Amino acid sequence: MMGAGDDDALDLSVELGSLRLRNPIIAASGCYNRGAEFGRIMDVAAYGAVTLKSVTREPRLGNEMPRLLSTPGGLLNAIGLQGPGIAYFLEHEAPKLAAVPSAVIASVAGFSVAEFAEVASRMDGIPGIVAIELDVSCPNVDAEGACFAEDPASTAAVVEAVKARVTKVPVIAKLTPNVSDIKPVARAAEAAGADALSLINSLRGMSVDVDRARPWLANRSGGLTGPAIRPVGVYHVWEAATAVKIPIIGMGGIETGRDALEYLMAGATAISIGTANFRDPLAPLHVGETIAAELRKRSFTRVRSLTGMANPGFAGARA
Amino acid sequence: MVSTPLLEAAELISRERVAPGFWCLGFRSPEIARRARPAHYVAIDLPGTFSVRLPLGIWTARDDTFTLLFREWGERTTRLACIADHEPLSIIGPLGNEFSLPDTGKRAVIVAGGIGVVPFWLLVRELLAAKVRTTVVLGARSKHMLVGVDELRALGADVKICTDDGSAGTRATALDLARELAPPDVFYGCGPPPLLRALSEHANAAGIPCQISMEETFGCSMGTCWGCVVPIRRGSPQAVGYPHASDEKREYDFARVCVDGTVFWSREILWNR
Ligand SMILES: Cc1cc2nc3c(=O)[nH]c(=O)nc-3n(C[C@H](O)[C@H](O)[C@H](O)COP(=O)(O)OP(=O)(O)OC[C@H]3O[C@@H](n4cnc5c(N)ncnc54)[C@H](O)[C@@H]3O)c2cc1C
Ligand SMILES: Cc1cc2nc3c(=O)[nH]c(=O)nc-3n(C[C@H](O)[C@H](O)[C@H](O)COP(=O)(O)O)c2cc1C
Ligand code: FES
Repeated sequence: MMGAGDDDALDLSVELGSLRLRNPIIAASGCYNRGAEFGRIMDVAAYGAVTLKSVTREPRLGNEMPRLLSTPGGLLNAIGLQGPGIAYFLEHEAPKLAAVPSAVIASVAGFSVAEFAEVASRMDGIPGIVAIELDVSCPNVDAEGACFAEDPASTAAVVEAVKARVTKVPVIAKLTPNVSDIKPVARAAEAAGADALSLINSLRGMSVDVDRARPWLANRSGGLTGPAIRPVGVYHVWEAATAVKIPIIGMGGIETGRDALEYLMAGATAISIGTANFRDPLAPLHVGETIAAELRKRSFTRVRSLTGMANPGFAGARA
Repeated sequence: MVSTPLLEAAELISRERVAPGFWCLGFRSPEIARRARPAHYVAIDLPGTFSVRLPLGIWTARDDTFTLLFREWGERTTRLACIADHEPLSIIGPLGNEFSLPDTGKRAVIVAGGIGVVPFWLLVRELLAAKVRTTVVLGARSKHMLVGVDELRALGADVKICTDDGSAGTRATALDLARELAPPDVFYGCGPPPLLRALSEHANAAGIPCQISMEETFGCSMGTCWGCVVPIRRGSPQAVGYPHASDEKREYDFARVCVDGTVFWSREILWNR
């Protein structure tokens, strides 16, 4: 098996703010832990970076069962941010990050601006964490439960508060597709100091159990992910790429190398794979090989040359 | 013990419709067959449109082949039933922990509901080899949903059958039948949650150790998505504990069925948390 970075003639490295990754392929938050589980059957180093599950201030037990439903081309989930909370994370999980064979991006979730700022600042400078992603798709308890990322001002407030306290690593704002126009949110995040954007998070969805005449998920609604949502993701990345100069990590339904190329050409600098790991744990290897083949086919030497290629309105820096 | 899984291409070598809507498929995969222990399962990638891997228990394993016994539940199991002959499928396995065995000379009673029979071929083979006196009580809604009986009897197991409608064996539930037997040293259970819950309560009340193989909807099958959890007594070795959680009165933690299970002791499972 040839890893994505093994081809000497090609430069697969990308830059997200001050962060340089050896290849543009990232494991998405909530789908991969630290990689140890999938490491039992494959080489996690195929990923340029691994994004950890979002961490909140307090421990959270998450939602009731069932939390999942396999749907056509996708997966509906309502995990409810189950996790140990920041104190346990720092004490028990952070020390294990040195063993991860890829760069590690931490993820923070919160229910208030203050929570985001506190948790993110406690992660700043922790050895092994190269960037902090903000899962701003959570409900804001200070604004009657409205989702931060659906509102430009709330998104900006979170990013600004975090940037004021996180000084050592780049901050990535992860946006929701549950908006009719992503450009104002993307611009607000950029203006507030975000070093990069991640999009998309899961698409809100629901399934009804017809036999029992009630919602299938215990949480009623959930987030749809997987190839079913890919066109939505590509669209939002395309739109955001016309609105901001900062790099974009594109995701949503990436399963194959061609899917990744769609995102890169629409304007993404890097891409993430989440749900596809649940079918093909070797997806990052296949994606890397296809990207390399595409570069050779086009006589490009750097993956950065693909970014925004298909998008005439691309506002970022052309390689 | 947690398994050491492999990602393998396994070739479909046999297919049998064992009852309406029930299939037994054989695969050649020497390493998965060799590593399979009682209660292990595999996660199967189905060709075609995307879906997450389908988890299915390993039914039999001999030499370089293993079989799966499953019902057509929905999309993926229906697709699996009509996979082309000799098609190589990408399979991850074996996955999950395993049943533990009692000492030689002890008595075991296995309680299975319907397709919940799956983990018990491997277990019965082990128990009989370890000279544990074993009775299997197998219940189903009706005769045509009773599968696996012949294969278990072929191992030499004492198999008692029952159906809800009396169309085969006694008209009773598997637990009713199991209660009539002399109390064993250990119970094993797999099947629909109401049966497992009733079995757990019976075993716990009688002070008999009982191991349950649980089921939930799976996403990753590898322990990364947190979609498959069950409430477990707080502090149980299988629970993923959050020691300084603020709600100190909470009695439960969660465990992931896919990697911390699928087998749990009945005393640890908090059915009505
Ligand atoms: C570790 C493990 C081992 C297993 N072993 C076996 C085994 O050996 N044999 C076996 O037969 N099964 C087994 N199962 C169960 C099997 O994996 C599940 O039933 C699986 O969901 C079937 O996938 P599917 O795509 O065919 O059906 P799915 O589409 O996932 O549907 C599963 C069930 O949910 C129902 N359902 C789905 N969506 C809805 C909805 N919107 N409203 C109402 N109902 C809905 C379906 O009707 C069906 O009954 C096992 C499960 C686990 C976790
Ligand atoms: C089970 C599951 C859990 C997730 N948990 C998180 C999370 O904690 N934080 C987050 O920012 N995104 C989370 N996501 C969203 C993914 O990171 C990703 O944005 C989304 O799944 C789209 O990509 P995909 O189609 O490749 O999975 C989760 C997704 C899944 C399937
Ligand atoms: S199925 Fe993903 S953690 Fe168990």
